[in-house]
Amino acid sequence: MKINPIYILCFVFFSFISCRKEDSNSFDGPSLNDLNGPFNIISSLNLDEEVDFESGEEINFDVELSKNTLWEIEITGQTSGAIRTFSGTERIINSTNTAWLGGSNTFPSFQQEKAIVKMSFPNEENSPIIIDSVNIIGLKQDKGYVITDFENGTDENWSFFNQSGVNASINCNSDLSAKGSCFYKWEGTVSWDWAIGSFQINANEDGFGLPANAGNLFFNMATKFISNTGPDNCFILLWFDEDDNGDGSFNLETEDRYIYEYWYENDKWNLASIKYDDLKYDGDGQPVETNGNGLLEPSKLIGINVFFLANKDSGIKSEALVDHIIFTENEAYKP
Amino acid sequence: MKLKLTFIVFIVFVLQSKAQNDKYQINGSARSYLFANQLNIENSLDSITPKKSNYGHNLLDLGISVFPTKESEVIGIFRLRNELGGFWGGGVVFDVRQLTFNGVAAKVVKYSIGDIDLQMTKYTLFNNDEEGALNEADVFSLRRDVMHYDYFYKNNSWRMQGAKIEFNLLPSTNLEKIKFKGFITRQRSTDEQGRPERLFGGGNVKFIKSKNLFINLNTANLFDLKKTSLIDSSYLFNNVTSSDFNYVIKSDSSFKFNLSGEGGFSINKYENFDDLGSPISMNDWFYDISTTLNFTKKKLEFTIGFKDIGKDFSSPGAQTKRINFSKSSNIYQQFTNDYIGRTLTLSDIINGNSNNSVKISPELMAYNVVYNNTNPYGDATPNRRGIYFSFKDLDTGKVKGSHLDFRLLQESTGSGTLRKKVFILSQLGTRISLNEFFQLKKEFVFNLGYQNEITLRSGEDFEKIYLNSNFIDVGLSYELVNHFSLVAGHKLWKANGNEFQEVRDPYNSINDFENLSIDFTENITAFGVKYDFGNQNALTIQYQNFKIKDGGSNGVDYGISDLIILFNLKF
Repeated sequence: MKINPIYILCFVFFSFISCRKEDSNSFDGPSLNDLNGPFNIISSLNLDEEVDFESGEEINFDVELSKNTLWEIEITGQTSGAIRTFSGTERIINSTNTAWLGGSNTFPSFQQEKAIVKMSFPNEENSPIIIDSVNIIGLKQDKGYVITDFENGTDENWSFFNQSGVNASINCNSDLSAKGSCFYKWEGTVSWDWAIGSFQINANEDGFGLPANAGNLFFNMATKFISNTGPDNCFILLWFDEDDNGDGSFNLETEDRYIYEYWYENDKWNLASIKYDDLKYDGDGQPVETNGNGLLEPSKLIGINVFFLANKDSGIKSEALVDHIIFTENEAYKP
Repeated sequence: MKLKLTFIVFIVFVLQSKAQNDKYQINGSARSYLFANQLNIENSLDSITPKKSNYGHNLLDLGISVFPTKESEVIGIFRLRNELGGFWGGGVVFDVRQLTFNGVAAKVVKYSIGDIDLQMTKYTLFNNDEEGALNEADVFSLRRDVMHYDYFYKNNSWRMQGAKIEFNLLPSTNLEKIKFKGFITRQRSTDEQGRPERLFGGGNVKFIKSKNLFINLNTANLFDLKKTSLIDSSYLFNNVTSSDFNYVIKSDSSFKFNLSGEGGFSINKYENFDDLGSPISMNDWFYDISTTLNFTKKKLEFTIGFKDIGKDFSSPGAQTKRINFSKSSNIYQQFTNDYIGRTLTLSDIINGNSNNSVKISPELMAYNVVYNNTNPYGDATPNRRGIYFSFKDLDTGKVKGSHLDFRLLQESTGSGTLRKKVFILSQLGTRISLNEFFQLKKEFVFNLGYQNEITLRSGEDFEKIYLNSNFIDVGLSYELVNHFSLVAGHKLWKANGNEFQEVRDPYNSINDFENLSIDFTENITAFGVKYDFGNQNALTIQYQNFKIKDGGSNGVDYGISDLIILFNLKF
């Protein structure tokens, strides 16, 4: 059978046409509506009066805008001063981009208090600022291994060291704590030594109950330097003592002590956090030498020493706070 | 100056008369090109820039073709260029303009190595004409031809460095002939620091069934050579594969009806680019099909076609623009009291003061929406779909080269919005021999070109577009005495409206839109005399006045007047 070439050409041509994707619901490049379109709020914020994070509730900021544009939500604890922010550029704001589970950006954490919610649109001229509030009646539950939150005082296993003239104790003042009501405080003038004071948290006979994997375990502690501060003026020295031989006690001559220094960053509450596995390096990134088996074994951790040091030559009082010591898995603690 | 030109001409003629024989030939061109210009701008806008400048050059291109054997040829063209003001060697540049080896191997395979001219289809490898010429008058085309000559812009081919081969097969099947063509060229050398060497290669296979039917398979590839730089060097690969055909459905002494078209796809791959925004790959495809009715006796040809070019269709060989509109002109590059870059104008392009492409660009180059918004990258412009038709060859003897073209296109995919831009482009042109109307013995020619381009998009205020651009290109040429003519011409470009022009990243993705408000008028008037030596050789003295009135957001009103002397001789 002889086939006319025109039929072949038509077949090829119509095959092409039929394969063309007809994508009428998308366009090329950024949206002109987003770049130049008018801004208005189609569906505004409407929050519940209270939220109980402890029972697993969360807050979603359901807002619909006329265009994709930069939006910012800032939640401020009226008592604690805790702050949680969200930002994005989506036109639809909902649980996918703003689920608030009760945490703050950093310390201090939220308390059971009234939280003020402010929503703004920085790139839109003359746009309104939405303000609302919600009462927190239950706090979010931490996931991790809490060593101490200082809420229940000290333990008989703890030991303390303080230079002469230094006052150190647990203070309970909800306005100043990083989380909860209480924190540990050093205060005093020491002109002859950098060492101000320390406390040693010793585990009971069962240890701290930490998992064995150092690769995904994080040590976390809230820290605030108040006086005799500055980038090179004060720091917290942490010792992590492991019971390598399992005899229930620590011997510096034969077992591993890992050291971490957390230096001053600013005058606010900060999260001092380090992955346990990173304790094998010093501050310069060099491997550290220990006297034990040299293995990072958090399950063998039996003592944590928290030591406050500050510049002896500054001639002023040294003061620092620590709070909420907790180990977390897979990621640093989220206040 | 006169002495120098006379000497050059003398040398050339002597060489030519003595040097044409079986073993070698000498040919070339000589040129003297002088400009005296003045920037016309209000002092309140520009009190800094020197208002007058003179520049120009004399040059000699000496071409030598040597035939070592009957089946081989070596072509070398050497350029000697002396800038105006250079004296006894000062400002003299000596270049090798072309070096090509041609030959036929085993009487079958035709090959060329060195500087080669390449052209395939309008969607694979094609050097599209620049904007601003529509039945252009001699007074302008004399200068434009110089620019074309310098950049090897002839017959829409690209000058490249590499090698090409051609050979034919005469199969014993139903096919009459199979033609093979292949080429490979170097586009970029490596810097050995992460930028690899870049090549451009391809070819086609043409299956000729009869004089009434052929089908081509084409491929054009721009690609980086791995291992020519560091291990983690970036890597670009672009492939365009297409097939085009022409089928004469019916043909007799008075009528010819044929169907032609091309369809294909492009594949772009990016590897190891530093920019996190670089895509992994972008693919798309196109088709363009048309039918032509040719009334042979009436000398009338009518074509109607339909095309659809995908938004991500990428064909560097066919989309590279001759003129780089992102660069300022070479004269008065920065002006005004604020030292702003002077936007490229038609006058700059005609006078050869634009930055022109000599390599294939994988990036879609900048363009001016006033000059060309429908097809800024030629027929291969991505994101265009619609119909087109044209009438041409309305040749009555007195009226020559008449044509009417119309395109009604829209975007295949909306840009920045679901609504699509619509482009309506109408062009007409003619060349009328007035001497035949008025029964004059000397040639008296009137050129006319007119273009209207409308860009539309409906919708909300933030997306609406209306841009109306009109271009008139007229000219006269009157031969006073033998070979001596008065030449004059005028170009007017006027555009009003608005447009949201795409801003693209290096991977051709749109990442922003520039909101343009346009109120633009460009006038170029030129007149002068021309003495024609024949074979496109001429001496012309012209005066040109050019003015821009730009009420756009960054517009500046100014003008440039030029006194131009051009002597062009090819031999």
